[in-house]
Amino acid sequence: MLLGFLVVVQLRSQALVARSLANQDNTSIALLINDLNHANGQLLQQSLALVERQRALQQGLLTGSTDTLAIEKELTILRAVAGLLPVHGPGLEIRIEGPVMDFEIQDALNNLRNAGAEAAALNGYRIVDGTPIISHGTALQVAGHPVSSPYVLRVVGDPEQLESAADISASSLQTRVQVTITRRSDLAITEVVQPRPLVYSQLGS
Amino acid sequence: MRVRVPLVVSVCLATFLVSALAAAQFRSQPLPPSNRVARNEALRTSVNDLEAENRHLRDRVGSLQAAIRQLEDQSAQRSSAAQRLTDLVAGQKVTVGLVPLHGPGLTISLHDGRNPNDPADRSLGWIVHYQDLQDIVNLLWATGAEAITINQQRVVPTTSFFYAGVNILINNANRLSSPYLITALGDPPSLIAGLNDPNQLTELKSRSRNYDLGLSWRRGSRLTTPAYDATFVLKNAQPTS
Repeated sequence: MLLGFLVVVQLRSQALVARSLANQDNTSIALLINDLNHANGQLLQQSLALVERQRALQQGLLTGSTDTLAIEKELTILRAVAGLLPVHGPGLEIRIEGPVMDFEIQDALNNLRNAGAEAAALNGYRIVDGTPIISHGTALQVAGHPVSSPYVLRVVGDPEQLESAADISASSLQTRVQVTITRRSDLAITEVVQPRPLVYSQLGS
Repeated sequence: MRVRVPLVVSVCLATFLVSALAAAQFRSQPLPPSNRVARNEALRTSVNDLEAENRHLRDRVGSLQAAIRQLEDQSAQRSSAAQRLTDLVAGQKVTVGLVPLHGPGLTISLHDGRNPNDPADRSLGWIVHYQDLQDIVNLLWATGAEAITINQQRVVPTTSFFYAGVNILINNANRLSSPYLITALGDPPSLIAGLNDPNQLTELKSRSRNYDLGLSWRRGSRLTTPAYDATFVLKNAQPTS
């Protein structure tokens, strides 16, 4: 009940106030504070990881050993983030039986990324930021490949956080299709994307 | 065609995550006017402080990345193995959006429309929602975009859109607001063909007509997309080579 009321407040607020901070309602501000706290925590973690990498590189240079381990580790992370390497770890398997539209999968993926998803695959295709998911009638295409129900979305990340996000998506989908969410302690995403060379873009600003 | 049910559900997510915070706001009412003003001010001060901290942390990440680049270059000068790895890292940074790019493409402008002030119309169709941005980004990828930014924020593998009340947030709580400028690098005719396709963005185009919601695009021969201003950390995913 409260949730529904809050949603209405959010939507109404959106219609009624400007987006400058001074004119925002307190609920929006409270939500913003929560997200800023979360984001700052993430940025702090990123800083700590970079400091660690910096130390490893400095150590290598000081000892004259040219330790390549730190560079190799960075390369591995970047390749995994780009979807070029298989990954495994805890996560969720979300099985959807029935027809869904492209935006429903995109919304689910967006919610899962918000909840810290680190890798995802749908019916045998790795999903990264540049992976288009397009409806063709009642069928779906992932990066140009047709996929059909049951849709199995596998996601690596903190299962607890992912599950909250998945539940939200499921609650809207479950009115039409069957959705099963299963936690996995070690889920493998073996699918990778092919690197896309730049044709039109050039380095530099 | 996108319907508004997912919008409400997505807003639910944002709302659900901090319902305790919001509930506290309601529980505390009614407050004496003086307390209410003080509380409002305190909340806004908190946002300003947190946004300042956010900027500081981004700067710190940027400085560390620059320092690491220098150290990697020094390592590369000492060994061919390090040189090869450094070259590979540089290539991967381009792939994940950590390097600024320029080239031909499109700039898409999107802004909120006219509030009909009609009590019977509760659709909020005159407002640009984050799902609209998400739909455009997905369409641009599908039509061959090589890099995308929204209000100068680079779309990267971890980018997601999030509602915090009236704010649309992306990339570590960057606030986006109307007007939205989406820049996409790629083949302009292909990108334009996708946007002109009558089967794409049907609901957004309809709202553009009905509410004067701004939706237009312009090709450019030399557009720029800045680099993502943070980095990536894997906490759960373990890569297997």
